[in-house]
Amino acid sequence: MPDWADPVAHYMLHQGLSATLRIAAYAVVGSTVIGVLLGTLLTIRFRPLQALIRLYVEVWRGLPILVTIFLVYFALPTAPVIHHRFGAIAGAAIGLILWGSAQVAEATRGAVQSIPTEQHEAAAALGFGWIGRHKSVILPQALRRLLPPLVSLLANIIQNTTIASLIGVTELLATGQRSIERLQLTPPGDSHAFAIYAALLAAFFCISFPLTRLAIYLERRLVSL
Amino acid sequence: MTLVASFDWNFIWEHIPDFWTGLKATLKVAAIGIGGSLAIGIVLGAARAHRIPVLNWVAAVYVEVIRNTPILVQIFFIAGGLTQIPGHPIRLEPFTIAWLSVMIWGGAYNTENFRAGFEAVPWRYREAGLALGFSRIATFANVTLPIGARIALPSSINTYVSVLKNTSLLTAIGFAELTDTAYSLESQSFKPSEVYLALGATYLLVVWTLSALVRLVERRLAIPEAR
Repeated sequence: MPDWADPVAHYMLHQGLSATLRIAAYAVVGSTVIGVLLGTLLTIRFRPLQALIRLYVEVWRGLPILVTIFLVYFALPTAPVIHHRFGAIAGAAIGLILWGSAQVAEATRGAVQSIPTEQHEAAAALGFGWIGRHKSVILPQALRRLLPPLVSLLANIIQNTTIASLIGVTELLATGQRSIERLQLTPPGDSHAFAIYAALLAAFFCISFPLTRLAIYLERRLVSL
Repeated sequence: MTLVASFDWNFIWEHIPDFWTGLKATLKVAAIGIGGSLAIGIVLGAARAHRIPVLNWVAAVYVEVIRNTPILVQIFFIAGGLTQIPGHPIRLEPFTIAWLSVMIWGGAYNTENFRAGFEAVPWRYREAGLALGFSRIATFANVTLPIGARIALPSSINTYVSVLKNTSLLTAIGFAELTDTAYSLESQSFKPSEVYLALGATYLLVVWTLSALVRLVERRLAIPEAR
């Protein structure tokens, strides 16, 4: 490896990759929890509630993630009542959660509705209430169908954490760009931008490819079962 | 109460021409990107579905690389990485970078959409076409394409909407599309809630209109219920 590459790789992996994975972890957990909850509530036949959740899903699915993050990070602090300024990492994670939970809600609705009515009836006959019925009977079965889209979501969220660099988070992409700038300013002034961007593509590919393969594998296994 | 009142509607009203300029740039880039990804999708999707040697493998690698890397890194790679290739630097106009990057991204997703669509066309239809004396290309154009493209329609439409939304990331290279226009407007006016709420509303208007239009077309083009 050439001389310049070693400190750059160290900086990108220690500072950049760890921030990327941290945002991704927040975003995946948050999206899953909120998405499963909203998706399950969406199966209740109560029009006003359905309309409200539909609106949530359509808005956050319709907006580009960058615009959502700008809204959370720049516009929300000036809104009445709230006045709270999130840090850049939290702002990015919340933006990703709004988008991700909309995706999960859609998938959960489909998964819950795919469980036969008999399961609901049997659980009700055993004396389960609505919450117990969903928690102990319906959702555990729906989870199998939900697993492939959740793995795909994880891959997508990891890719989309790069958008956080645009509000100043030093995640993987941002550390690469800072390295390019620094190399440009130090003699001999070669930025190595081609090599660094290629390495970034390779790094994301190595993380994302196994996950998308896993999602396809889970999907196939599910179909054959 | 005072804060609600402080929302400056007048500011949005005054800057509608700016948003309109940005929106036009967004729509222009998106239109080229969508058209290009349609062409890429049909050609490479057909190559994948028909297992055409070499092209099939090239398409498979292209699809996996693009789908497993962030589009933002792809944009920077095209805008900043290609200019620094040792020996053969490639410099592109910002507008070229803009439509090229979203087209390459959409093309990869669309290749998968069309591959799945073409593969879903029953084999016996193609055999029937060949038996009637159609050449392989004529069979594709008259049998596989009209049926397969309609099967691929719903998923490819999702890709087109995503292409439009992804143009917002061109802000990162300072290309003056809708989001970038809003971003510079905000940095001059310090009115983030006005600017970004107007920005969000504009995107929703465009995306929802596009989805509604497309659903209309979809219903017309959908394959009639199998009997």
